[in-house]
Amino acid sequence: MEAIKNALDFSDFPKIDRMLALAVFSFLLAFPLFPLSAFAMATMIQFLMFSLYGMGWNTIGGYGGQVDLGKAQYVGIGAYTTTVCLLRWDIPFWVSMPIGACLSIGWSFIIGYPLFKLKGHYFAIATIATSLVLKDLFEVWKFVGAARGLGILPFKYQVPDFTRLIFKEDIYYYYVIFVFFSIGLLYMNWFRQSRLGFQLRAIKDNEEVARSLGINVHWAKIKTYAIATAFVSVVGSFHAVYVKNIEPEDTMSLDLSILIALMAMLGGAGSLWGPIIGAGVLIPLKSYLKEWLGAAAGLVGIDLIIYGLIIMIISAFEPRGLWGIVEKARRRRRI
Amino acid sequence: MALLEVHNLVKAFGGLKANDDVSFAVETGELLGLIGPNGAGKTTLFNCVAGMFPPTSGRIVFAGEDVTALGSHEMARRGLARTFQVYVAGGDLNVLENVMVGCFMHTRSQSQARTRAEGILEDLGLRDLKLNLVNELPVAAQKRVTMATALATSPRLLLLDEVAAGLNPSEIEDIMAGIRHIHSELGITVMLIEHVMELVMNISERVIVLDYGRKIAEGLPQNVARDPQVIKAYLGERYVRERKAL
Amino acid sequence: MDILFGAVASGILLGMVLALVALGLTIIFGLMDIVNFAHGEFLMVGMYTGLLTAQATGMDPLFTLPLAGAIGFLLGVACYGGFVKYLLRGPMIAQLLGTFGLMLLLRNLALLFFGSEDRALHHGLLVGKSFDVGMGIILSATKLAVAALSVLAFCGVWLLMNRTKTGKALTATALNRQGARYMGIPTERMNALAWGIGGSTVTVAGALLVNFWSVNPYVGLIFTMIAFTVVALGGFGSVPGAFFAGLVVGFIMEIPGFWDFFAITFDIGWMADVPMTSFKYTWIYVAYFVIMLISPRGLFGWKQ
Repeated sequence: MEAIKNALDFSDFPKIDRMLALAVFSFLLAFPLFPLSAFAMATMIQFLMFSLYGMGWNTIGGYGGQVDLGKAQYVGIGAYTTTVCLLRWDIPFWVSMPIGACLSIGWSFIIGYPLFKLKGHYFAIATIATSLVLKDLFEVWKFVGAARGLGILPFKYQVPDFTRLIFKEDIYYYYVIFVFFSIGLLYMNWFRQSRLGFQLRAIKDNEEVARSLGINVHWAKIKTYAIATAFVSVVGSFHAVYVKNIEPEDTMSLDLSILIALMAMLGGAGSLWGPIIGAGVLIPLKSYLKEWLGAAAGLVGIDLIIYGLIIMIISAFEPRGLWGIVEKARRRRRI
Repeated sequence: MALLEVHNLVKAFGGLKANDDVSFAVETGELLGLIGPNGAGKTTLFNCVAGMFPPTSGRIVFAGEDVTALGSHEMARRGLARTFQVYVAGGDLNVLENVMVGCFMHTRSQSQARTRAEGILEDLGLRDLKLNLVNELPVAAQKRVTMATALATSPRLLLLDEVAAGLNPSEIEDIMAGIRHIHSELGITVMLIEHVMELVMNISERVIVLDYGRKIAEGLPQNVARDPQVIKAYLGERYVRERKAL
Repeated sequence: MDILFGAVASGILLGMVLALVALGLTIIFGLMDIVNFAHGEFLMVGMYTGLLTAQATGMDPLFTLPLAGAIGFLLGVACYGGFVKYLLRGPMIAQLLGTFGLMLLLRNLALLFFGSEDRALHHGLLVGKSFDVGMGIILSATKLAVAALSVLAFCGVWLLMNRTKTGKALTATALNRQGARYMGIPTERMNALAWGIGGSTVTVAGALLVNFWSVNPYVGLIFTMIAFTVVALGGFGSVPGAFFAGLVVGFIMEIPGFWDFFAITFDIGWMADVPMTSFKYTWIYVAYFVIMLISPRGLFGWKQ
């Protein structure tokens, strides 16, 4: 099928990029086989998760050019759907995760239709508003455990449990998210070459011209938003069974939404590798900063201070992200 | 039945009537010119017809269907394509990709879109520039790219908005040939706004003249050129008076 | 009945302070189309300034306003010159995330220096005193004074913008940047000035607010959202719009009060069971959304 051929087609990248990507991919594949600390493993799992979050965001935020700062609400929907399904009706992950994705996509259509009548900062603030509304709702909704959240007790199940995705060792989680990561990456590669991908780029270039070429701008944006939502929701479901303890404050907070947007923005919004590069820099940085600085007495918040500074520096001096720097350097060499 | 019929079109921006009671028809297969002094309302007329904004009053009928209320993308899907006078591109898509966007209107397949786009670029002599960014090209090439992109949507009616602006004489020749090709070989109905008289008068089968939002003349190019109303509009009342005095 | 009047009075008084909070945001936005996510953090800085100065020197918190204003002005100018100026060159996503980074920075600096506990003022000229206005309404003297001072500050800024040469230059730059440049108005300096004024109005608002609202490093976000809602309703860029919108938003924040009034007066059982107070801020977010969809230009705004 042409779609699969496109997904595997990385030929428009220079050879060195492809070699590097292959090397990194092999490294990630073999990673758990090295002897390493639980901390390093956990960080890598986080890296893969946030790469996926970033990739999803990148569809609407990067290619689509509409900065969405409310993605965390879908993490919540995915996570809570999976958890509630498991706790109440013992529904396995592979069923509850798609259900969560459908609920998320449904919600994204409902708010997407009015949301995309807005642009720029008005849009961004509106996404924050909707995300916070949902979070507030979850914080008082007894069905989902309100502010205390929900917890999965692993000892109730026979580990390793592949249908419910309950494991004792992280290595299993690693490979599950790695498979998701690979599928996600191939999907994004297909996406950027697809009709919708081209339409988005045209819209970002000049909306009026895009319309004159038969593109239904509003609908294209809504579709893309739904795709971003699906990505985020799936990882949210994974998050629930991995962390086994969810509450609105850490699954649906504004800070999480910003973090997601940051992945792509730091790495290079609107590029294929951007979110992965961004996650590759930010997640280890975040983890290790927290380890060394956060817990140290009296230095609460230093990791976030450094974080804030990084965001500020990137926004002010290299808004096209790290990949943008690479592209700029290449263009200069071409001339 | 004409391909495009415009009935009593009025477009007002606040108190200013950019188009005032304009009516005309474009027959299938025609090459129609639209001229008039600056500010006469030509681009506004195009914008209304193309669906960019709705007219204040009046009716637009395209291929027998009342399209007055439709937006740009719906008009494009019905076979009306247009170029833009000032095209500010973000610089992300190269020439080939730009044209592919137009092709995607009729296909979902990337390879089909690419093949067709390359064909169109070949047709308009842009094959060598296909990987360049649009905003890095010289003006003449940019104009041809906008035409190629519009053509990619397989239109029945093509509206060209000042495609010869800023071109030197030999470039004007090239673009004239391009328009003739689109019209005769591809069989597309063309309506063009132009200030470059040697182009529009030579190429058009029929010409419409706007002044201050109203249609003041319509007919064969040579007749319109001699019409005193038209001369007055371009050269001013005083010129006409002085010429009469001679 | 007194619940109703209490809620109305509370709404009005709170609304006036909110209007002042939002004033800075609308001035900055009107001038240069940038949305400052760190706006609430500036407020927080004002709140801490007022609180700490009052506690340290023992003077009445209401006298800390000039200091708060000065700090706010400097903070605003510094943020502009040292950072925001560079953001303006970049794409929108950079601007949004940039001020967000500033928000994280300020919030966590506060966390580092002041710790995470709630702090409140316990003494002051007017803290704790109230007037009984009859009909069962009890107006807190603090809130009354704060509201009055807010209105005063508002008038001051309005006068500045419309009656002084500098203010008119600012407005001119907001309306047509290039034209203003041709007139010899130093637009760069206008930008810095806008941030200065914007910063000082919101820190003054903070110093006023801390008289009846406790402060902690996280208080910024909700006020940023409130300020956005006020500005969206009043119209991005409109000073009088911010005032009236502030009042409306003040009412919105009193919705739990109105809810209770209905629940009790009409004895509606299920209404009393809804934990409305948890939703105090939710209505703000909903309001923003609804306003943007129905009337993106707000009540008085001239920027879309």
